[in-house]
Amino acid sequence: MVESSFLNPFCDEALNIVRNQADLSIVFDVDSRLVDIISFSPHQNLSDESYIPENIINLALKRIKWYIERKNNKEYNSHDYAYLFVEDISFYDVIVFHLTAQAIAYKFNFNSREMRLFVQSQGQIIEDRLGSLMLSEKRELTEDILGELMVSGTVEWTFLKDIISSKKLSLTDLLIDNGEVILDRDEFIYRFEDKFEDRSVSKMYDVLVGDNVKEEVLKNLIMQKTEEYIQNIQEKSHLIEPHPSILTLADEIEKTIDEEMTKYSTFYANVNSPGGYMEIGKLVKEAFPPCIKNTIEGVSSGGRNDAIVLFLTSFASYARLYPGIFANEGANIKVSDIDKNLDITEREILPLIFEAADNCTPPLFEDQPQEKINIISKLGFGMHSEVSLEHEGETKWYTPMSCEKVKIHLPQLCKKDKGCKGINNPLSYYTRAKWNLKKEGKLPDSNQSGNNSNSSGGD
Amino acid sequence: MFGKSSVKERKQFYREEWNLKDLPDFITDELPRREFGFDHYGRGPNDRYKVFKNPDFLRRFLKSKSPFAAYISIAYYRNPRSREDWQKAEYVFDVDAKDLPIRSCSCDEGEVCEECLGQSLEIVNNLIDTLDGDLGLKNIHLIYSGRGYHIRILDEDMMLADSDLRGEVLKYVAGATVPKSSYPNPDPSMAASNFNFQHFTLPIGYHKIFTDRVKYNIQHLKGNEKIDGINPKLLKDIIKFRHFLDEDAWGLFKGNIGPRRYNNIVNAMANVNLATIDAKVSIDIKRILRLPSSLHSKVSMKCVEVENRENFDPFKYAVPKFVHERKDEEVAVKK
Ligand code: SF4
Ligand SMILES: [Zn+2]
Repeated sequence: MVESSFLNPFCDEALNIVRNQADLSIVFDVDSRLVDIISFSPHQNLSDESYIPENIINLALKRIKWYIERKNNKEYNSHDYAYLFVEDISFYDVIVFHLTAQAIAYKFNFNSREMRLFVQSQGQIIEDRLGSLMLSEKRELTEDILGELMVSGTVEWTFLKDIISSKKLSLTDLLIDNGEVILDRDEFIYRFEDKFEDRSVSKMYDVLVGDNVKEEVLKNLIMQKTEEYIQNIQEKSHLIEPHPSILTLADEIEKTIDEEMTKYSTFYANVNSPGGYMEIGKLVKEAFPPCIKNTIEGVSSGGRNDAIVLFLTSFASYARLYPGIFANEGANIKVSDIDKNLDITEREILPLIFEAADNCTPPLFEDQPQEKINIISKLGFGMHSEVSLEHEGETKWYTPMSCEKVKIHLPQLCKKDKGCKGINNPLSYYTRAKWNLKKEGKLPDSNQSGNNSNSSGGD
Repeated sequence: MFGKSSVKERKQFYREEWNLKDLPDFITDELPRREFGFDHYGRGPNDRYKVFKNPDFLRRFLKSKSPFAAYISIAYYRNPRSREDWQKAEYVFDVDAKDLPIRSCSCDEGEVCEECLGQSLEIVNNLIDTLDGDLGLKNIHLIYSGRGYHIRILDEDMMLADSDLRGEVLKYVAGATVPKSSYPNPDPSMAASNFNFQHFTLPIGYHKIFTDRVKYNIQHLKGNEKIDGINPKLLKDIIKFRHFLDEDAWGLFKGNIGPRRYNNIVNAMANVNLATIDAKVSIDIKRILRLPSSLHSKVSMKCVEVENRENFDPFKYAVPKFVHERKDEEVAVKK
């Protein structure tokens, strides 16, 4: 039977492994047992030594690399990483997981791109490992782990509230009755037996809940635990001196992520490639959607804060720097990944936002000067009055609001026109409109060619 | 309805009729942690950041000032006087009769009448059934606000929720998302063939909520509504075939409308469901709401907690005495 540490790095067994692995100086030593496991993994590509991480540190880096490749590399070959999906790896995997989490906690900010990447990689690894198991094994293991996580036949939906709030799981996709999410077949049958006249209740359970929902809950709960774990370490970080191996690992992780992300960076997507119209370039006001035009013309007192601080700030910055965000979901990006010295941000993006703030009635900063700081923070530069590299990552670069969000928060701004058809985000409106202008040769000069000389970074 | 209250009427109301006992317990319980706001002249709540140490101070304030309108924060602060140290906030659904996207009455824009007020009550009752029965939320209060209803929820989990979670729950309760219709085949050997379910074929969970809301909307259409995604011809056909829904014969209804146009209906109705509630209020964690027991001077009605939500009649419980004492011709009819 598969051990739960294969999927749950927080189970008792996994925590025991970590506890017994007190000596961190050995993580750089060649580990022949590890090498054995890798070499004997079915289908593992062994054509080159570089495919075989021979010590724990290398395994940690491989695990990160795996995720980035898996997400971005169109020629990704699962045989290069087959060892990550054999149960025998559990022991090492647990150690690697905890080392990486600590390294990330010490080196990077909470919610930094590095941290998010690690958390997502954990989710993906669980998903792929579940997929590699036999159905009966998978079911048994899922049950066990959900039990460890305090979730059994049903769970109160509020227990999942963080996952719901972050939209990783939608409330409307869960089957909820009397405050409880139904996960278990017997519960389902007990509650809904009489609801399906001409269909088998048991079959309906398989389709509507079945393995999918349970696995989704499991995966998300472990991702959530991973976040909490990192946060915990960070809160105590001033009390405990990290082991030098962990700091070395942190530096290596940074290098690996930087290298890999540059390799797959799509900021400069070729104009001829599909989605190529998402290249970066000067803001083209003619291509702005109605809601943004309305914002720039100025918003009246109700709603002006959200319109400027949340809506326009995220729109303008992504439209200018990273219009491809939605095509590259999961690519964790900071402003300075594109705008290396923050020139564009200071000379083009902020002026546009500040101008719009000025057009509000009453002008936004006149009675609420603190909103300037909030704008800086939504760009990912913490709660400060100016953007500076030193503070980047203290807050998150707020992603553009969807049309749905605009309709909830700022209904007065959404005045649909033809271009709104079939889009669900003002940013998509913009990229499409810009593309159309370009086709018609109506784009202002600096944007006519794909390689805009004004853009810095990304090299 | 009953028109604006005069200054004299306001004074009379607060001196003679208003009573400390009319304040619901959930308001008085932690009164000093809430912020109050007042509108003294009918120009919006400009007098804000007020705090009352206990209900008696509030009583004295109201009796001496007879404000045009009184509001209380849904948020609890450690320091309400400066709105600092936010601790938690009620979760609110605001349904305003004048803003219903589908109303079966013939009110002009901005007006309300007995019929659309009644419809608002039905709508909030449906919402409460979902909040309570489906989501299991506790401590739910219903307030008649003067022109509609506030559902005020003091469930501990929701009181600590951020805007995002409030928004997600709102979408669920309102029926603002088109339910999932395609499900992967649980049989791995058939993985390529998904199962498809129309929302009305699944009488449980969110699908049922959505179906109920859509049915309600359709049954209250008048035929002159302007709804994004539903053109006049489609609107006419919906009304023509809606009798099928009386027997829940959704299949026949859909069959007569046609699958593509039915899809348009479903999408449009998700939007209508969202617009039925003032979503901005639900996701706000710092808003102020009309104080239960106070006077809504614009319409001369009292804002009161609803005791029996199934058959509450605002004209019985929320009309201040001075309205009855007005000279006959002044007492506006229930239009
Ligand atoms: S539909 Fe979307 S893009 Fe168009 S105006 Fe509304 S919010 Fe903006
Ligand atoms: Zn009416």
